[in-house]
Amino acid sequence: MLERGLEEKFYVLNLGPQHPSTHGVLRVELQMEGEFIVKADPDIGYGHRGHEHMAENRSYLQFLPNLGRVDYLHALAYNQCYCMAVEKLLELKVPERAEFIRVITCELNRIASHLLWIGAYLLDLGAFTPFLYCFDDRENILDLLDRVTGSRLTYCYYRFGGVPRDVDDDFLAGCKAFARRLRSRYRDYENLVNKNVIFLERTKGIGIISQEQCVKYGLTGPMVRGSGIPYDLRKCEPYSAYPLFDFDIPVGSTGDIYDRYMVRYREMEQSLRIIEQAVDKIPAGPIMAEKVPKRIKPAPGEVYTAVEAARGEFGIYLVSQGDTTPYRLKLRVPSFGNLSILPEIAVDTLVADLVAILGSIDVVVPEIDR
Amino acid sequence: MEKKTGEPLIHLGVLEEALNLARANSLWPMTFGLACCAIEMMAAGAARFDLDRFGAGVFRPSPRQCDLMIVAGTISKKMGPAVVRLYEQMPAPKWVIAMGNCAISGGPFFYPEMYAIVPGADLLIPVDVYVPGCPPRPEGLIEGILLLEEKITGRGRLRKFRNAAE
Amino acid sequence: MLLNELTQALSRLNLAQVAPGDYAKTGCHLEVEAAPAQMPEVARLMLEKGCFLESLTAVDFPEHFTLVYHFNHFRELCRTVVHARVPKEAEAPTISHIYPAANWYEREVYDLFGLKFAGHPDLRRILLPFEADFHPLRKKFAPSETPADA
Repeated sequence: MLERGLEEKFYVLNLGPQHPSTHGVLRVELQMEGEFIVKADPDIGYGHRGHEHMAENRSYLQFLPNLGRVDYLHALAYNQCYCMAVEKLLELKVPERAEFIRVITCELNRIASHLLWIGAYLLDLGAFTPFLYCFDDRENILDLLDRVTGSRLTYCYYRFGGVPRDVDDDFLAGCKAFARRLRSRYRDYENLVNKNVIFLERTKGIGIISQEQCVKYGLTGPMVRGSGIPYDLRKCEPYSAYPLFDFDIPVGSTGDIYDRYMVRYREMEQSLRIIEQAVDKIPAGPIMAEKVPKRIKPAPGEVYTAVEAARGEFGIYLVSQGDTTPYRLKLRVPSFGNLSILPEIAVDTLVADLVAILGSIDVVVPEIDR
Repeated sequence: MEKKTGEPLIHLGVLEEALNLARANSLWPMTFGLACCAIEMMAAGAARFDLDRFGAGVFRPSPRQCDLMIVAGTISKKMGPAVVRLYEQMPAPKWVIAMGNCAISGGPFFYPEMYAIVPGADLLIPVDVYVPGCPPRPEGLIEGILLLEEKITGRGRLRKFRNAAE
Repeated sequence: MLLNELTQALSRLNLAQVAPGDYAKTGCHLEVEAAPAQMPEVARLMLEKGCFLESLTAVDFPEHFTLVYHFNHFRELCRTVVHARVPKEAEAPTISHIYPAANWYEREVYDLFGLKFAGHPDLRRILLPFEADFHPLRKKFAPSETPADA
């Protein structure tokens, strides 16, 4: 609200809902004093599609395709989380080969998500060329995933108790070839982006988030890792086959935009390491649990499961009342919590910096709005 | 809504045909992503699919510089008025592609108890080309754009191929 | 051990239930039941111990709403779930002055369930249009309540 007597001092600037840097349909109402932001008020909900209401009207299996459309950039992690929640309710044990396939495809998807973010984020900052490089690499991942899942973007690949289709040797060889290819491209990225003076000027020391703020706002994912908290559910709350692999959690030190960028950039290498180990060690065997009921009707109870998605912790809180539809299904989406810090860190910055900060949160608006 | 909103205000007779040829081969779409389909729209404009080959790769963020609106994604009830507003801000002649099932009919999000979305972009604005898919592949969007070229000029690159096939 | 520490500190607050949870089954290490009025106290304690608010949501049961708070810790995995029963048409106290993260979560619960939070600084709709006159996740919400197309 405006303070009395200061009306002429401020003016209101409307950013969005159709604005290229809002990555979809986010609207931010800015109160400006000259070039500086006095108050930023994000207005979300322009992508609200009612996923949670839909869950209460669909059977467990029918709701599965929705999970590919909540966060379409890292759809497989969302598939994974929902399958884990239902598997916990049904007390199903997923065979090891299926877990390995899940890990490989999920990590490939994570790299695709980070590549898209790097491309789109640099587009926000005014650099067009890296966008083409990132999409070129990303297409290679999509080719691989297309082979096993049958779609390029909104995957619906995992099932309760495993995966429906096995991977072949070509896919596994393709994963290794992709790892070699992406590594050979690091030099290009280093030269194009990481050493770019304009990029460094626009990201270093801007949008700093302290560890205390991380706790208070419940941030997750690269947002907290950029501030130096090694919180990654793949290590902190190991699920699936992740405990079997050796990988590191990259963390930043100052918590500015540059650190968040570097965390995501380095995470791609860690994902490659996981993929390579998983491809080497993948066991033979069944890909579907035995005795998966045809009609899914879990016993009454409630469960909370969480996975590490590209944007942070994605959790599902599921309440079953012994029916064929969930009684309540809450999607705890990472971007929702991550975006809620924007009003605090946007104060006293320039509009151009706000665009940089907003991009560094890596929001996917239909995911926030659900 | 009146049928002729997309038509130019001034008609120039024979010259119109030449102008249409120019318009069809340099469509300027708006960067207007609503949901999942926007990513495939970006992919269509990026390295592998390269919409620039068809003159339609100049994505403009401002509606006042565009003549093609690609409705890529679900239109929520909150977003509906903004979509209409953006369409009205575009200078005529202008065209609309409804990309993906959500923009065509609400897609998977349309069911009887649904409360959140507008089932179909054509309830709000006139649509020229529908590209089905959830999401459509970039090739699908390119075909949609070629189809729109055909609609604008009456002769398109696509028609040539189609005639050859027959 | 954070779990023991939390159990001890929480049991001093006179809550209805503080019990270890079955992690393999529910994904939570500590299950707590509290009255809505005790929530600010619980939240303050959780913040003191360095926990963050993972999620806040509500469930619409026939006789009451249940607010469900999940807390977790960045350094040591210890998920605490707190259930608080709120009678229909009653208000729950806000915890947004303790956890700023709760600000948006509470707005979301208000938007989808119509459950009001006393003392919330800015209780507006967040996902639905401001002029909407229904709360879609209430079990009684029927399609006839849906307003005509925009």
